[in-house]
Amino acid sequence: MKSTESTLVHSEASAKVMHETKASAAGKKKGLSRKAKDNLAGYLFISPWIIGFIGLTLGPLLFSLAASFTDYNITSKMNFVGFENFKRMFTMDDLFRTSLYNTLYYVVFSVPLTTAGAILLGVLLNQKVKGMKVFRTIYYLPAVLSGVAVYFLWMQLLSPSTGLVNTMLGWFGIDGPAWLFDPEWTKPALLLMKMWSVGGGMLLYLASLQGVSPQMYEAADIEGASAWQKFFHITLPMISPIIFFDVITSTIGSFQIFQEAYVMTENGSGGPGNSLLFYNLHMWNNAFEVFNMGYASAMAWLLFIIVMILTVVNMKLGKRWVHYEGGDGK
Amino acid sequence: MSAVTEPKFYETKKFKENVKHTFVTLLLIAGSTLILIPLWWMISTSLKSPAEIAQYPPTLFPKEFNFSNYIEAWQTAPFTRWALNTLLIASLGTIGSVLVNSLVAYGFAKIRFEGRNTLFVIVLSTMLIPGFVTMVPQYILFSKLGWVNTYLPLIVPAFLGSAFFIFLLRQFMMGIPNELIEAAILDGAGHLQIWWHIMLPLTKPALVTVAIFSFNGAWNDLLGPLLYINDESMYTLQIGLQTFKGTVQTQWHYLMAMSVTVLLPVVLLFFFFQRYFIEGSNIASGTKG
Amino acid sequence: MKRGLALILVSFLLIGLLAGCSGEQKAEAEKTKDGKVIVNFWTFWGSETRRPIIEKIIDDYNTSQDKVFVKHTFLPWGDIWTKNLASVAAGNPADVIINDINTVSQRAENKQVEDLSKYVDDSFKQQFYPHLWETVEYDGKAYAVPFNTDTRLLFYNKKAFKEAGLDPNKPPATWAELEEYAKKLDVKKGDNYERIGFYPLWGSVGASSWMTNADSGKGFIDNGKLAINTPKKVEALEWILGWKERLGENTVQAFQAEFGSEQANPFIAEKVAMWVDVGTFYTQLRDYGQDIEFGVAPIPAYQEGTGNFAEGGGFVAEVPKGAKHPKEAMDFIKYLTGVDAQKYWAVKNYDNVANKEAAEATVDELEGDDKTVYEATVKNLEQTKMFPIPVDYPDYHSRINPQVDNALLGKMSPEDALEEAEKDVSKMKK
Repeated sequence: MKSTESTLVHSEASAKVMHETKASAAGKKKGLSRKAKDNLAGYLFISPWIIGFIGLTLGPLLFSLAASFTDYNITSKMNFVGFENFKRMFTMDDLFRTSLYNTLYYVVFSVPLTTAGAILLGVLLNQKVKGMKVFRTIYYLPAVLSGVAVYFLWMQLLSPSTGLVNTMLGWFGIDGPAWLFDPEWTKPALLLMKMWSVGGGMLLYLASLQGVSPQMYEAADIEGASAWQKFFHITLPMISPIIFFDVITSTIGSFQIFQEAYVMTENGSGGPGNSLLFYNLHMWNNAFEVFNMGYASAMAWLLFIIVMILTVVNMKLGKRWVHYEGGDGK
Repeated sequence: MSAVTEPKFYETKKFKENVKHTFVTLLLIAGSTLILIPLWWMISTSLKSPAEIAQYPPTLFPKEFNFSNYIEAWQTAPFTRWALNTLLIASLGTIGSVLVNSLVAYGFAKIRFEGRNTLFVIVLSTMLIPGFVTMVPQYILFSKLGWVNTYLPLIVPAFLGSAFFIFLLRQFMMGIPNELIEAAILDGAGHLQIWWHIMLPLTKPALVTVAIFSFNGAWNDLLGPLLYINDESMYTLQIGLQTFKGTVQTQWHYLMAMSVTVLLPVVLLFFFFQRYFIEGSNIASGTKG
Repeated sequence: MKRGLALILVSFLLIGLLAGCSGEQKAEAEKTKDGKVIVNFWTFWGSETRRPIIEKIIDDYNTSQDKVFVKHTFLPWGDIWTKNLASVAAGNPADVIINDINTVSQRAENKQVEDLSKYVDDSFKQQFYPHLWETVEYDGKAYAVPFNTDTRLLFYNKKAFKEAGLDPNKPPATWAELEEYAKKLDVKKGDNYERIGFYPLWGSVGASSWMTNADSGKGFIDNGKLAINTPKKVEALEWILGWKERLGENTVQAFQAEFGSEQANPFIAEKVAMWVDVGTFYTQLRDYGQDIEFGVAPIPAYQEGTGNFAEGGGFVAEVPKGAKHPKEAMDFIKYLTGVDAQKYWAVKNYDNVANKEAAEATVDELEGDDKTVYEATVKNLEQTKMFPIPVDYPDYHSRINPQVDNALLGKMSPEDALEEAEKDVSKMKK
């Protein structure tokens, strides 16, 4: 810790001259050019990931890619079938379209809703109010809970006539829908569940908000900025790297929604009118119910392409609104 | 604008603060209630007798509090052993995850090396393939390595970085001014020293987040232990929870009692680790301005 | 810095240690110290109630001979088969596993199970109910041995029958009677139902069961031919819709949701007077519904004399492909499906077993209501139909169910829905 402080003091003094001196001063010391040293250091730092990627991840990934062009059934068959699996998705498999539609519906609503919810909750829980530790713990609780118990709990809460959700809607004179029993309302029901456990995302923003220095707000106060102005001009830009992270990872996560639907629809049957047959659920059924892993792999790689495109678009757009305090915008 | 007169009490800054705090507190209490009501159902079920659970309409409060459900549930299987196993896996995984992911993230955020962007896109792309389709080949791989029925498949990957955490920590680290690092280099510090002495303290809130997420993830992991462990003595709590789910009848009172018990350590961990958020903020704010 | 490195080092040491320990365990996994062959046996029976029963059977087997030692491992329902699949693919599966009875031929087709034909002869086969044995054969070879099974009965509330002026000893025998009785059993208060006589989709029964029941026990795929859009099946679907219309969508949904969480049961809560469920449902009645006077009967026939068909399920013991000790595994399976073990399982679990002699012996052993219900289930096995998933149409349910849902939600006429379903399923055939 001591050296941190000394470095900090130093940093302010030297920040301006640094650009001119860095290549010569730092580079010459050990005889390697700065660039070569950085290359070496860079690869050394990321080496654990490289080892893991080559050793554990790459093989299975390539295997599944290869499998997507075969009739692989996990245990005995793996014959090359060309683009047959991909063709089948678009020509033969009606459920594929249903599952893609359901998943897109879910992604389109869940990503903005959970992101906005998590930011607001994070800001709220960053206030200095008595008992905040307890509040934070309570809001994080749903994110800790996992497994079947939670889903059964929600099935009871969403019960149309005596469930808590509709009872509460009733207080406001609203006649609540049948939720999990009405194909129109099954996906909103899952969104509601998702919102309940927004505490996980909240944690990210809470951590990120710690990096926003109070001095910035104080300066804004002096200039007479309103709370909204401070939120939009200080808070949001400062936490934008994490918003960016959250949007990208929750898009990926939402495309892969599975467990909720699997548990709540009696082992992945897809719910009323197949309204909860999500992409991954359909994929799972193909892989482990019908043993058509080749087809499931093809589905997985098509999803890969779809989400990859979205991620790249996100990253391109991100350059316009993500603000890195460190100075690496590019 | 030029208010020379004494401000009214409701115009004072203190009053405004108080109003804001009261409003925030009320809002938080309202939200907490929404979150806690479902949990109450869990706790209340965990205290009921099986006969009461089977009753219709369901009772909100247990008629009698069967705290013995908790003890009995614990005794139906070697839960003490399973809890220790889970603790071991989750702790080791958390240590590995925090150290390694921050190391890798530092490389991606603060060192300019050739191929950095390409490699980073590859990191992200590993998140895009659903686990189902790589599960079987991965199992075969671990089986060939002789790792089946050991904790290695559950712990080693944590020491080799995860895309999600690398990305997360990179985002945090990119918010740390480059000047700090450049200055340290001028002082003759190596990247390893900078990582340890500057980056880790400055990203403490993020590291705590990663620690909480990793621990939580390992603690709640069902599929991993289930696939790779063949000996019941090496099982974890999440597999243990599954014993209460029957094909014909689920033992709800035990399932809920044990779910609450399993939840507790993670909640306590979160409650006590939060203080590092606040500590972290002091350091971060001290560096700027 | 140093602390960090030390932490990493310690962690790696610990991991190494763990690896070392497990390495040893692996070495002993093939045989016990006294030279017995270890047979790994995976089941999903881990609950406090089931586990001691299966483990007693295993213990009895282990002490009955000195060559094989069976090691039982619990794996959670559902996940057990995912793990089985991965381990078959990796070549290190268990020696015996409990698996679903209706999908044996699929596993045989995909070479996930060992062919057991050489271990079984006619006298062995004849121990089991024929409708169960049929499911384990594929292309004339046996790939599994039936272990337990189930069948569906109509449970009815005798007290409610008396209140409604019905003879409590004369349960409905046909669909017409079922409807007539149900109307009498309904108790309405204002617009709300206090008690519903009957609803065909509640309990352990679905639309497909009624369609089969109407169609002389014919499933959706009969001897390899599609029989989805048949007049009788359309009629059955219309009949179910009739119930829904009479009771009203809201009533049905409310009741269904109330009991959807699987905790409370509307028949036990005396909110529904007639209820179709598997035989083991009786144990819940016995344990949580002491005051209920109930009777059991076969599922009413479509018309007098058309047959009281019920749908059946169950589990088999099988040897995963690539198991190290198939011979020893089969020796244990023979014990597991033998009269003694099956009878013990049946009595203790109140479960229907595949071994005929054991089933009949169980009836003799039980007393009172236990006996009455069990006897009814054993008798009902004769009219129980199994619908194993055909190899050509592996997930035909996923194509039929949404169309049936559409019909029941009123989005399509039953006829159109079944026509659509038949079209969808026919597209699947490879």
